[in-house]
Amino acid sequence: MEHVDELIPAHALRSLDLPDEQAVEAHLAVCERCRRQLAEFEAVAATLAYAAPPAAPPPALRDSLLSAIQPVIEAPAVAARPERGPFWSRVALVSAPALAALALALGIWNLSLRSDLDSTRQQLAAGSAVHLSGVGNVVWKDGQATLYADIGPAPAGKVYEAWVIRDGTPIAAGTFDGGGTTELRLDRSVEDGDTVAVTVEPAPGREQPSGKPIAAGRL
Amino acid sequence: MTAGPPQENPKTEHLSDHGLLALVARGDTEAFARLYDQYSEAAYSLALRVVRDRELAADVVQEAFLAVWNQARTFDVRRGQPSTWILTVTHNKAVDTVRREQRRRTEPIVEGQEGADPGPPADERAWLGMTRQRVRQALRQLPDPHREVLELAYFAGFSQSELAERLALPLGTVKSRTFAAMSALRAELGKAGVTLEDEWNTSTS
Repeated sequence: MEHVDELIPAHALRSLDLPDEQAVEAHLAVCERCRRQLAEFEAVAATLAYAAPPAAPPPALRDSLLSAIQPVIEAPAVAARPERGPFWSRVALVSAPALAALALALGIWNLSLRSDLDSTRQQLAAGSAVHLSGVGNVVWKDGQATLYADIGPAPAGKVYEAWVIRDGTPIAAGTFDGGGTTELRLDRSVEDGDTVAVTVEPAPGREQPSGKPIAAGRL
Repeated sequence: MTAGPPQENPKTEHLSDHGLLALVARGDTEAFARLYDQYSEAAYSLALRVVRDRELAADVVQEAFLAVWNQARTFDVRRGQPSTWILTVTHNKAVDTVRREQRRRTEPIVEGQEGADPGPPADERAWLGMTRQRVRQALRQLPDPHREVLELAYFAGFSQSELAERLALPLGTVKSRTFAAMSALRAELGKAGVTLEDEWNTSTS
């Protein structure tokens, strides 16, 4: 029967079969002499790495790694806020660059460049958010949704209309003229899975959108 | 891939690897970047040689350095050099990958998956070229059966029983041959001027 110390070099190579590996690990936990042996043989094994053909790691790997280890310190909208919807609670655990990427995807930073940063924070603090590309953001909480639009004026004689689409059926939810920033509380309640869409309408009060939406987002 | 001229990071340039690792343990990202710049090429070359796929190799290196970042606080200096630790973690993850993915382990690397030639190491990694040379020299001195067992175990990730089957040898023979090969390698490394205990990656050794 072999002694554990005869297995230590193979352990350093990671070449032990599982039962032997477990036996060695168990022994190492209680034997400092063998731990020193292992440290020595790990150094020997590690030199073998230098016998591998040289290969340059992709530069992106460095960036990716350094981003991954950055602590969460720079995301302004995730400062301590008393009210935070489920969306932001989850996002708070994400690292700053990932958060920035997420915010970019939502177009929120884009909006904040043109409008007051505080209002953006208020928007974000108020609940869950979805971005409607080219129009703005819908922020919703407890069934109540608000469209924060930042869009040019509707064509002459026309108006923008917001719709809540549930199970394929659109329900009119409010109109606005555009031309600057608009805050429109949707007059329909919303729930998870609804889609909010914006269309251009010749007049309000229609039961159905007259054409395809200019933007839509799913809650 | 290097951090630029050595003067670029006056805070870290004179620190030993142990010093850098101690800073990493306190969340110092500059020190971490410097360790990465010193050892990422060696780690990636190793990973690629084992897993034989550039994407998998990048994943292995990423995971290994993340483990270094996360576990620096519990690194015991009695374990030896940080470089050994970094390469050991890399090797462990590479071997786990190749075993898990059931990848073929001994045919030549698939075309297109060879690594990009890094060229001669930059000044601050001059030790790398020298170390490679010395390690290869030490390996050349080993008898063929010893060198074979080391290469199959380390780079192909074969267990002792897999080696026995592959080489058509009794398990006991494989085990004693592995032991002998490692002892011989340790001796040859010493003769080739590769010091294992001290800081052997700085210009002073």
